Amino acid sequence: MVDYLILVLILNHMVKYISDRLDATFSALADPTRRGMLAKLSLGEKTVSELAEPYAMSLAAASKHIKKLETAGLVRREVKGRTHYCHLNAKAMAEAHAWMDYYTRFWTGRLDALEEALMANVESKEGSQ
Amino acid sequence: MTQKTLAVTVTHAFKLPAERVFDAWLDIKLARKWFFATDGGDMVVAELDPRVGGGFRFTDNRDGQEVEHVGEYLEITRPTRIVFSFCLPAFNPKPDIVMVEISPTAEGCILTLTHTMAAEYEEYTDRTQEGWTKMLQRLATFL
Repeated sequence: MVDYLILVLILNHMVKYISDRLDATFSALADPTRRGMLAKLSLGEKTVSELAEPYAMSLAAASKHIKKLETAGLVRREVKGRTHYCHLNAKAMAEAHAWMDYYTRFWTGRLDALEEALMANVESKEGSQ
Repeated sequence: MTQKTLAVTVTHAFKLPAERVFDAWLDIKLARKWFFATDGGDMVVAELDPRVGGGFRFTDNRDGQEVEHVGEYLEITRPTRIVFSFCLPAFNPKPDIVMVEISPTAEGCILTLTHTMAAEYEEYTDRTQEGWTKMLQRLATFL
């Protein structure tokens, strides 16, 4: 999952993914505690205290970690009564990547076509001289 | 609250002067061949009004399906910068923003294109997941 999320492609045309969301994601994933929390969440929704438990940390400290995961869009929090339930938002990330994949390929193709159209124009001009 | 937007950036080096590459975006005779065109598709509508506030419309017909792209030029600074908004009205009326920057190099020029999803990302995740996925699947078929 980490490789998938820190994807950077360098092709002939230097295609690069930039996303405010990805920057936040990278920083969210840089911490082993948060990676552990994500792994736990992949098994199903967890309360904040369930996520804090294996780390012997305060609920406030756990909440800070979860907040970073929320900012990165990886986790959603749902409040039921007094309890906060956290859910993995992997689908949102998958959709974001689908959008970015699509438009990266689209614009790479369009710029190739732009070059072709210009080169054909250059050739026809030279031919008519 | 942080603005959550997505963007992609693509660059391309050309062995042609910046002015030639710049003009290809706003010259209808050239633009209709590549701008929002698809390989094997037929550009049935190609209109552009090359001024700030001017609009454009490109409709590409591929295998009987027409895909219309509509947009507006927000900034035109020859030969270095073009900013425009665009949307595919059939899929989503909310426009994205595209910024094209062209810088001269020893061999010609380098073009950097940044496409930013204008809507806050949250808005897309709030929509029915199904609708979003379907939209992307339909877009993918026009690649």
